[in-house]
Amino acid sequence: MAAPTANAVTAGTGDPARTGGTRLSARLPRLVLYALLGAFCLYYLLPLYVMVVNSFKPLEEITSGGMMALPGSWTGAPWRTAWSEAQIGVQPTGLRPYFLNSLLMVVPAVTIATLLGALNGYVLTKWRFRGATVLFGLILFGCFIPFQIVLIPMARTLGFIGAAGTVRGLVFVHVVYGISFATLYFRNYYAAFPTELIRAAQIDGAGFFQIFFRILLPSSGPIAVVCVIWLFTNIWNDFLFGASFADYDSQPMTVALNNLVQSSTGVKEYNVHFAGAIMAALPTLLVYIVAGRFFVRGLMSGSVKG
Amino acid sequence: MGFLDIDRVTKSFGAVKVLNETDISVEKGEFLVLVGPSGCGKSTLLNMIAGLESVTAGEIRIDGARMNDVRPAERNIAMVFQSYALYPNMTVRGNISFGMEMHKIPKAEREEKIAQVAELLQITNLLDRKPGQLSGGQRQRVAMGRALTRDPDVFLFDEPLSNLDAKLRVDMRTEIKKLHQKLGTTIVYVTHDQIEALTLSTRIAVMYAGDVQQIGTPQQIYDDPANMFVAGFMGSPAMNLLPATVARAEGGPAVRLDLAGGEAVTLPFPRATGLDAREGEAIVLGIRPEAMTDPEGADRDSGALHRVDLPVDVVEPAGSDTYVTVSLGGKDAIGRFRAHTAAESGARAPFVFDMEKAVAFDPDTERRIA
Amino acid sequence: MDRSRSARDTMRDLLPRLVLSPTVALIAIFVYGFIAFTTYLSFTDSRMLPSYDLVGAGNYTRLFGLRTWDIALTNLAIFGTLYIAICCALGLGLAILLDQKIRAEGVIRTIYLYPMALSFIVTGVAWKWILDPGIGIEAVVQGWGWESFAFDWIKDRDMAIYTIVIAAVWQTSGFVMAMFLAGLRGIDGEMLKAAQIDGASTFALYRRIVIPQLRPASLSSFVVLAHMAIKSYDLVVALTNGGPGTATEVPATFMYSYTFTRNQMGIGAASAVVMLMTVAAIVVPYLYSELREKS
Repeated sequence: MAAPTANAVTAGTGDPARTGGTRLSARLPRLVLYALLGAFCLYYLLPLYVMVVNSFKPLEEITSGGMMALPGSWTGAPWRTAWSEAQIGVQPTGLRPYFLNSLLMVVPAVTIATLLGALNGYVLTKWRFRGATVLFGLILFGCFIPFQIVLIPMARTLGFIGAAGTVRGLVFVHVVYGISFATLYFRNYYAAFPTELIRAAQIDGAGFFQIFFRILLPSSGPIAVVCVIWLFTNIWNDFLFGASFADYDSQPMTVALNNLVQSSTGVKEYNVHFAGAIMAALPTLLVYIVAGRFFVRGLMSGSVKG
Repeated sequence: MGFLDIDRVTKSFGAVKVLNETDISVEKGEFLVLVGPSGCGKSTLLNMIAGLESVTAGEIRIDGARMNDVRPAERNIAMVFQSYALYPNMTVRGNISFGMEMHKIPKAEREEKIAQVAELLQITNLLDRKPGQLSGGQRQRVAMGRALTRDPDVFLFDEPLSNLDAKLRVDMRTEIKKLHQKLGTTIVYVTHDQIEALTLSTRIAVMYAGDVQQIGTPQQIYDDPANMFVAGFMGSPAMNLLPATVARAEGGPAVRLDLAGGEAVTLPFPRATGLDAREGEAIVLGIRPEAMTDPEGADRDSGALHRVDLPVDVVEPAGSDTYVTVSLGGKDAIGRFRAHTAAESGARAPFVFDMEKAVAFDPDTERRIA
Repeated sequence: MDRSRSARDTMRDLLPRLVLSPTVALIAIFVYGFIAFTTYLSFTDSRMLPSYDLVGAGNYTRLFGLRTWDIALTNLAIFGTLYIAICCALGLGLAILLDQKIRAEGVIRTIYLYPMALSFIVTGVAWKWILDPGIGIEAVVQGWGWESFAFDWIKDRDMAIYTIVIAAVWQTSGFVMAMFLAGLRGIDGEMLKAAQIDGASTFALYRRIVIPQLRPASLSSFVVLAHMAIKSYDLVVALTNGGPGTATEVPATFMYSYTFTRNQMGIGAASAVVMLMTVAAIVVPYLYSELREKS
């Protein structure tokens, strides 16, 4: 007798008055539901569609009102132009060098911030001391500050340490402001890690770093992935720091793309812009598609405090 | 001085005192169980013995040496945790070997030790598995194996059986007892389960609210509880604690208990010779369910059996026994009858009180007075 | 022997703090020190370069007298309100729709959420040309034969700010959906069964039982969206670059242009301080309650 009731509730079908299945779907025809969901899929996919199809069109097809249509004649020229020919800085180099800049910036910044965050999380949860929570709160606030508040002094500091206008300088900036998030992730993860394990290791004679490297770190895979993805996405997508602290040689991809699109000289090559936009989006999009589960978890724990 | 000395040990967290000037002395080879409800301070005390928590005041000594500032790894103790605390990323072998690695014991010696312990605990076939692939009972064995490799001076157990299901708990209890008999190591064992305490220990310390209420052999604790807390905590169903009045009967001391509906019964209480001066005063009579039985189930050797017919409120068959509830002194009192009793709720049934097994408490101080 | 031992012990006791200290130093300098520095600058007559001559609250008086700042604040109010309201409504609605045992839920969720992985610059570029009357929606619809169709908000001083709302909602609403969906999944199924047995209608079930229990998710969404709205810079730069004219100026673009291109560093610093205060007013109570609950 129990089974049919449970089925009605989970499947949301059948006569609601008799079975008690009253989830929305019981009243709203499934067709309408799927139509609505489908319509929103179109809404979210539309810009991506526009970017992709128009990046393969000759310019005239776009300017003649054919933005929504599939390419009449497919061409890879906009991609080639965007990647290696478009005039962005002084030289017509395309986006390639800036893509490289972004890579050189994002890899070390993510690595360093993640490692520091892991160590911080370990200390804050397993070697608690008076004021640890307050300290964590102070670190956490760093996740939320509007970065405008640090632009002026950071520009001076980078000049002072000779890192102004370099990729090195950007790495430093991103490490500093990435630590907060990395610490948040690892702290919340390690808080749920059984303290008895740490105690057992202490009795076994393991020291501070032995416990970290032999016990904690080998079990940190999931949160490390979350943290790396989050930092990667954030740093790759950053525009403010890149625009403020980089010069022509060290600009990251986002800044270069914006320059490409905003440049007011000559004809607007929309197809090249779209190709460039996809290039800038591809790494993070790829990460999202490959490891979406971890990406979502990162988003969540960044907002809903574990 | 014992082998393990807890000497006026106090623990406070800020203004909160969780353990008051506690004295316990454990002899070599003893199996001491710390038992009490959660929050009584027993786990804190165990953690202090392990060195996982600092001692606020007082001293802990093992074999005469002061341990207060010695790190856990250097105390030569071993500990089995409630959650087993097996390192999830290592195999069973890795788990058992880790502590020896940390103490820089050569590989050959480690291997030998692992084989020996695995043999003892019958986990040789599990050595290459990860903890996640083990059942609760198997994890428990591995956790003990890890502790055993250390040849510790003192073995510490922190509620090691509480995560197991009822049947497995009984089996593991027996195994721990066997292990103790075989190895003869000193053990301090924390539990909130009074049956575990009674079955395993050579001595029990009953704790409550940061104080040791009573320390003694299981028999002493069970038969002569020092106060009403110990009386109520140890034993299942709990000892009946019934408001009564000191009286005289048959030329000796006795207690009077009110029944429902204005009646009263008076039971001779030969043990209570010390209560003569209190005649007419209120006391609390403590009597265990097995000392309130049907006539056929009574202990024939007792010299103080008294039969009374009482109106039965509830009859609860529990397999091997039947529990019969009556109202005595305004409280529900449970008697343990044999399985096939004729007692029926609503009717009167004959009860035999074994007053040699009864105790009395002062209602104000809650201490035992007879 | 005894002394070296205690030295080793002291070292071990200090180690955790030692490990934490680089972070503490970095945060102390680069977050709090810099906040202090910028705050100090906001009380000086700094122009192209920092100056250390205090001029009292003059920058703040001038800031709030500026028409551009006024526009920026008004824009932030419009943008922030619509952005948060629409994201929450859309996010909640989509989450409820998706929570009806939908086939292919995973695919749909992935589609709703992918914009969050993109840079605001990419989003800005895409929407900039989609909304561009010359080639975008307007041109396309006209090309389909509806000659009188007009959709040129992005070139319209009064409407341009709403195009930023459109693009921002597109980017973030999927994320809010995911938060609400997680909240919905966290609700005890037995309670819902109990409510159904009590005879609650679907509408009542959601209004009286489900949605009130989404309070934590709503609160988190609000905090995240509010602080994103206040910080939003990239999207505005990519989509409208503050224009037409100053029609889509927001505090973030204002701060940047006054500090780095108009050489009014004192005023720029003052605007940054105002932004920080606004964020802090929302975030600090939130963090405080979150952390207090946990410890």
